[in-house]
Amino acid sequence: MVAQKNEKQRGWSLTSWWLFLLGFVVFLLLGFWITPIVLYAENPQPFQFSHKLHLEDIESCDFCHFFREDGSYSGIPGLDKCKDCHNEEDPIGETVEEKVFVEKYLANDKPVPWRVYSEQPPCVFFSHAAHVKNAGFECSECHGDHGKTDNLRVYQYNRLTGYSRDIWGWNLIPLGNPPDRMKMDDCVKCHRDSGVRDACFVCHK
Amino acid sequence: MNWDRRAFIKFALGAVAGLHVSPLVPKLMDDVSIWTQNWSWVPVSEKGEVRSKTSINPRTLTGVKVKVLNSRVSGKRIIGLSGDSSFSLGNGGLLASDASVPQKFYYENMKVTTPVIRKKGVRGQVSADEALEVVIDRLRDLKQSGKSSRVAFFADYNCQSIVNELLVRFVSMYGTGHLIFMPSAERMLELVGESMFGRKSLGFDLENSQYIISFGTPFLEGYGSPVNMRKIFVDWKNVGATFVQIEPRASITASQADIWLPCKPGKEGVLAYAMANLIVQEGKASSFVKKAKDFDSFRKFLSENYDLDKVSYEADVPVDEIKKVARGFMESSKAVAVCGPGNSSDPGTLFNFMAVLTLNAVKGNLGEPGGLVVREKFSWENSDRANLDLSFGNGTISAKEKKEIRNNFNMYAFAKEVLEDRIKIDTIVLVDCNPVYSGPRTKMMEKLLKKVPFVVSVSECMDETSKLADVVLPKASFLECWGDAVTPYASARSFYSVHKPLIRESLQVKSTGDWIIGLFDGICDLEKDSSLSFRSVEEALSLRISNMGDDFEKSLKREIWLQKNASYDEFDIKTGTGKVNLLLDVLYKKYSRMSDVENLIDRDSRVVMMGIPSLRTGSVNVPMSPYQLKILDETTLAFKDRLIVEVNPSTVYELGFENGEMVRIISAVGEIRASLHFSNGVRPGVIFVPIGLGHTAFGLYLKNKGVNFFDVVDVYTDCVTGLPEWELTPVNIVKMGEVNDHV
Repeated sequence: MVAQKNEKQRGWSLTSWWLFLLGFVVFLLLGFWITPIVLYAENPQPFQFSHKLHLEDIESCDFCHFFREDGSYSGIPGLDKCKDCHNEEDPIGETVEEKVFVEKYLANDKPVPWRVYSEQPPCVFFSHAAHVKNAGFECSECHGDHGKTDNLRVYQYNRLTGYSRDIWGWNLIPLGNPPDRMKMDDCVKCHRDSGVRDACFVCHK
Repeated sequence: MNWDRRAFIKFALGAVAGLHVSPLVPKLMDDVSIWTQNWSWVPVSEKGEVRSKTSINPRTLTGVKVKVLNSRVSGKRIIGLSGDSSFSLGNGGLLASDASVPQKFYYENMKVTTPVIRKKGVRGQVSADEALEVVIDRLRDLKQSGKSSRVAFFADYNCQSIVNELLVRFVSMYGTGHLIFMPSAERMLELVGESMFGRKSLGFDLENSQYIISFGTPFLEGYGSPVNMRKIFVDWKNVGATFVQIEPRASITASQADIWLPCKPGKEGVLAYAMANLIVQEGKASSFVKKAKDFDSFRKFLSENYDLDKVSYEADVPVDEIKKVARGFMESSKAVAVCGPGNSSDPGTLFNFMAVLTLNAVKGNLGEPGGLVVREKFSWENSDRANLDLSFGNGTISAKEKKEIRNNFNMYAFAKEVLEDRIKIDTIVLVDCNPVYSGPRTKMMEKLLKKVPFVVSVSECMDETSKLADVVLPKASFLECWGDAVTPYASARSFYSVHKPLIRESLQVKSTGDWIIGLFDGICDLEKDSSLSFRSVEEALSLRISNMGDDFEKSLKREIWLQKNASYDEFDIKTGTGKVNLLLDVLYKKYSRMSDVENLIDRDSRVVMMGIPSLRTGSVNVPMSPYQLKILDETTLAFKDRLIVEVNPSTVYELGFENGEMVRIISAVGEIRASLHFSNGVRPGVIFVPIGLGHTAFGLYLKNKGVNFFDVVDVYTDCVTGLPEWELTPVNIVKMGEVNDHV
């Protein structure tokens, strides 16, 4: 009996807990590796778009991304705005990407189904006017240096919720601040830091 | 160390701990919690630019601000309507039917979005061009084989509208005499006005009146432009005007009146003549009436037949009340008596119209502020382009047929003749009307459409009539096409407004006018026909506006509505003699006719039936929306689909009926089932049935909600005008043995 007891004590001794540690480390790494594969899928943008190229020909960001007369924000421009430059007389379709735009969308008067990286869930009311006009935010503070890029990066969305990965952020550990991520915690933190009300109904109408 | 059970457990514990510390589990939990917010049935509003545009609902004449969402991806969408306070009619008010226009617009069981053709009993969708070609082929074949007169057109009567003008031109060119308009109070007023004063465009100057007697007119239940009528009502209260309502039910209008005279049903006209009699006997009749050539006979006739005591007994209204109202009316400097339309969604009766216009003539308020006036016409109303006279155009219409067209306002009599094979009809084209629902003889209309080999319906909704049609041409809503809105019934001021397309949902949908122009294009040689110099409704409207001396483009920019003021001091009598015609000959005839109807009611039926019009339940032309069902209370519709009818307890007391009793209401033409609601606010001997419910179309949310009042309405042709009348229907009430407490 005594021998059996000693044997059991040996089996649960601290020195043998390296197996626990091994399981912990292996599955921790596995978790990091598998999380984006399990949770996110990719959706290609309809065609590539160069903000850099467009900014060379137009005055500023707000030529396409502007505030409307009623104060609401236009966001991604519709086909009508594109037609300001890409009209029937001169569609400007030299590159492969431009040809896709002209032939597939412009010619058929079909809106371009852009995937929106920073699209917030429908339950969120977000006013660009309040943040840009009143609080004086620069676009890049939330959206990064999107306007200087030559290509659109990969758009990933959450398989369960359907929301853009940019909302949670590309960092798997929820660290960082906008533009790296745009979760509710970030909104709340900024509101608190700026002395703005952070009650639910401020954003959730 | 051995890989034994203990080792495995240690590894597994480590694995579980490691996985939980990794982002997978907390992220999954977070995502699942977010996912639970994303139920598919939770509506998500689209994002986009919201613009507010002005328009007018031509059905209700409400000026509206339409909110249009322009989504980047899915295009434009109507998201709401609100009242337009800058509009000339009303004060920014909005009706329930206006507010629910977007729902009707997007409710797939109501709106027709693609032409439908029925072949061998099976309905299929086709393109607009294909559908039009089928109709054109049919009409062209009949015309070429000399059978134009075998085609009939049914339409709403609205003589100023562009659709009516186009339709009359088309029918004139096509060569059939069968253009039949839905019965309307407007037509009745035109007929009586023309006979008595030689003037057609009569209006009651309600806005400036100080003493108003309404002979059964449902002012607050959908009269003229309802939002404008509300505004006028408020103004009356503010200036201290006296409003008298004469009708047998404590309606909303009656409840707002300063004096309510609950007369027996159908006795409004008798009371009007009694008041005229009092004024004449007191020697206060106006010079208009005194100059009439048969004034002495008229005075004698009134004193013999409309003695106050006799009328008081007949109408069950105290003599003192009649005297008080008549004297108040006579003494007020701005007083008007108003008639039509009827409470049963009927045009009113000739007798009432004659009586009320006579009372106004006796008072002498013709052409006076606050009295009976003649509307000023728009310039195009005098030109050939808008005149309903069929003398223009190159049509091959015969003189006989012309006469038929100009007098054809009795759809009921026409249907009867077709069903009895006295008229041979091969094709019926229904333009924006639903006689299978609105009747007044619904079953007869249904039989008619089933008998006629080819039926075309131009309609916005897949309504009861369109369901029976061989071809349905989808009519565009006022939100998506050009069109006009014209003077409401009996308005003192002429009114004209244009609505323009704010949204384009389907290329297969056109305005009624554009469908008619399409028929023109397919059937006539337009180069030879000078009567049509435009190719779209937009062009036709442009022509009209320019005929008014206005620039169309500029007018559109300032959201056009045009209004001509009431004409005071210009009430020239334009009868053959130049004097008021008191229609004594008609009165003799009509008086005996009224007695006949009363005898019929007293002899064969226990009660008479009348309708309850309401802005909540929709009208014959504007079906209600599913939203509107939510604003009906238990005294209109109970237990989701049971119609409630109002009756005075004394009416059915002897028969042992209880409140909530389920009954059959049986007339000579049909039967409906409803629950009784006892109300002391209605006259004994009358049963009041809500109008606008009981559709058999429009899908789950509207189908079979209540029963259709018109299924049981009987109609007779007036012996003088030839117009149909159905103000009162004699009915029997039969117990069904089921009682449910609905309130």
